[in-house]
Amino acid sequence: MVNSNHYSEFKTQSKKGILVIYINQIYGLLKTFWILLFLFIQKFSKFSEVSLNYIYLGIVFVLLFFLVRAFLIFKNFQFKIENNHFILKKGILKKNIIEIPFDRIQNINFKQNIIQQIINVYELNIETAGSAKAEISIKAMSLAHANDLKNAITIFDKSNQKSEVFKEEKPLLKIGLLELLKVSLTENHFKSLLLLFALLVGFYQQINQLFESSGNNELVDDFITVNTSAIQTSIIVVLIFSLLLVLVGVFSSFVRVFLTHFNLTVFIKNDTLEIDQGLTTKKSIVLKKNKVQHITISTNPIKEKLGISFITFTQAESGISKEKQKIIIKIVGCKATQITKIKNLLFPDENLDNFDNNHVDSFYKTRLYLRGFLALLLINIGFFFGFENHTIFWLNSILLPILVFLTELKFKKRTFLFSDELLQINYGTIETHQTFLPFYKIQHVSLTKTIFQERKNVSDVVFQTASGKLKIPCLKDSEALKILNFALYKIETSQQSWM
Amino acid sequence: MLNSFQNITVTYFPELVDSEFKPIEKKYLKVIISNIFVFFFIFTVGVFTVDFTQILDISSFLFYAYFSILIIFGLIFLVQFLGFTKRKYVVREKDISYKSGLLFKKTTTIPFNRIQHLEIDQGPISRFFDLAVLSVFTAGNSSDDLKIRGLKQEDAAKIKEFISSQIDG
Repeated sequence: MVNSNHYSEFKTQSKKGILVIYINQIYGLLKTFWILLFLFIQKFSKFSEVSLNYIYLGIVFVLLFFLVRAFLIFKNFQFKIENNHFILKKGILKKNIIEIPFDRIQNINFKQNIIQQIINVYELNIETAGSAKAEISIKAMSLAHANDLKNAITIFDKSNQKSEVFKEEKPLLKIGLLELLKVSLTENHFKSLLLLFALLVGFYQQINQLFESSGNNELVDDFITVNTSAIQTSIIVVLIFSLLLVLVGVFSSFVRVFLTHFNLTVFIKNDTLEIDQGLTTKKSIVLKKNKVQHITISTNPIKEKLGISFITFTQAESGISKEKQKIIIKIVGCKATQITKIKNLLFPDENLDNFDNNHVDSFYKTRLYLRGFLALLLINIGFFFGFENHTIFWLNSILLPILVFLTELKFKKRTFLFSDELLQINYGTIETHQTFLPFYKIQHVSLTKTIFQERKNVSDVVFQTASGKLKIPCLKDSEALKILNFALYKIETSQQSWM
Repeated sequence: MLNSFQNITVTYFPELVDSEFKPIEKKYLKVIISNIFVFFFIFTVGVFTVDFTQILDISSFLFYAYFSILIIFGLIFLVQFLGFTKRKYVVREKDISYKSGLLFKKTTTIPFNRIQHLEIDQGPISRFFDLAVLSVFTAGNSSDDLKIRGLKQEDAAKIKEFISSQIDG
């Protein structure tokens, strides 16, 4: 192992970093100006020889400019370690010095995209709780160097540095191809479809802008109106269309799961979880035990049959970032034994198996029904104005039982239980989620009630944590107060730091 | 099987009691009313200017415009006026709580040992009445943190001082 003294003076990253930075820049450029390139290729024949030459010259100039820029970025990107602080100097014209004390560092992740995989370097990201994006991202380091730096940073943080001796443990979890296939087939395909749809809408808008600017947007619009009117008239088309949607949904969840979770391996090392995964972009995340705020164990009926579930970990997030872009860390395809092990690591000596589920007040069901009927009413109003043919209202005979079924299920699954230290909240409709939150990780507690709830003497209890809020809806006032007071007592007497 | 509620082994812990809550300063109602009237005034002047200068021809539904402004502000006024008495706070040994809301009631409690920082603000109208806003921030998404409006400036300063000493101690 190389001594950490290596980092006592300013160093640059690996020289291969120039290439990584360069390609990143070109990629960013292409992403913003791909429409221009598209137009260029489309109108290629219309350019004269002279202007073509100028265009080529321009492209060469731009490419060269970015090469020089990449080199300068590389040259000015220097870091060192001093006094348990990580210090980074960067910026070509506007110089920037970032100092991060070790104990503020939330986690250190390794990442490899395709290019980094080809030239065999690792991207090292240092994250703090202060920002949603990685605060420091070192684009290219050899594995040995990256490991050294990681150890140099983490070793001060640990009191038990002796046990840091690396023995190649057996992984807690390794997901093979077959298991990954199982996971992807049992995903929530509807969600995958929505994600894909959102992606396509963004794409469509860009295309539309393009056609608008070149003046033939009727083309796209016509195509779409023709298709939508066809959908309205023919049921067979609807059926085929939905079948297609299902296929696309399955396929997209397949792609999504394989891209992010390929070759998933999880190690437990001392107080940390190390998660490696990814196909095109390999990612290695080191999750410190005490930085995890709460975890959620989720499964759905088919997954339950296969005995697998997935765990979602949340870490402290920044209050400044408006965008809901939480960094979600997920382990898929966990078996029961592995879940027990992870739970033991995070919440040692806490066992909630002996506790009864507490149900929420039946007002919750009333509220769900009211909201459901309101939605149904809105849909029917939509039918009334949107369709000439009134047979569409027969759809209600399908929608209504679905609504009742889902509501009953949702109410049944809404339970909670707690021991002296740990709170467990269960929820879900088709899927089942179990969220575990140690009381001392709570930031503040609220009780909320509407005037309707007040008449029934129930309130919602909201636990705010550093990574978002958790809610128990519609508890009887006496129980709500009791759990509130108990949680406050637990927070105020706790000696453990929440992070 | 164990029941979570009966399993609580701690025999005594302080409870958040309604009667301990203190109302905020009565003067703050004046601030709320002034704020409402400022907005009311701006809106009415806006509609009047549009009508007077004929930028848009709204003479046909001018009556409805004024009427809806009146109704909306009447409702806002009523909700604020009735909700004012619901704004209460309490500072205990280890935490601070605030409750408010007429139609949607909310009680929030923040333990001192989870506070990231404290802030005291004064708006122009509040300054005239010598009132201040005390904001308490915790980690994570700060939008749901605690904000007590309508404290006397010196009370706010005192609370801030007390909390700071409790955190450091």
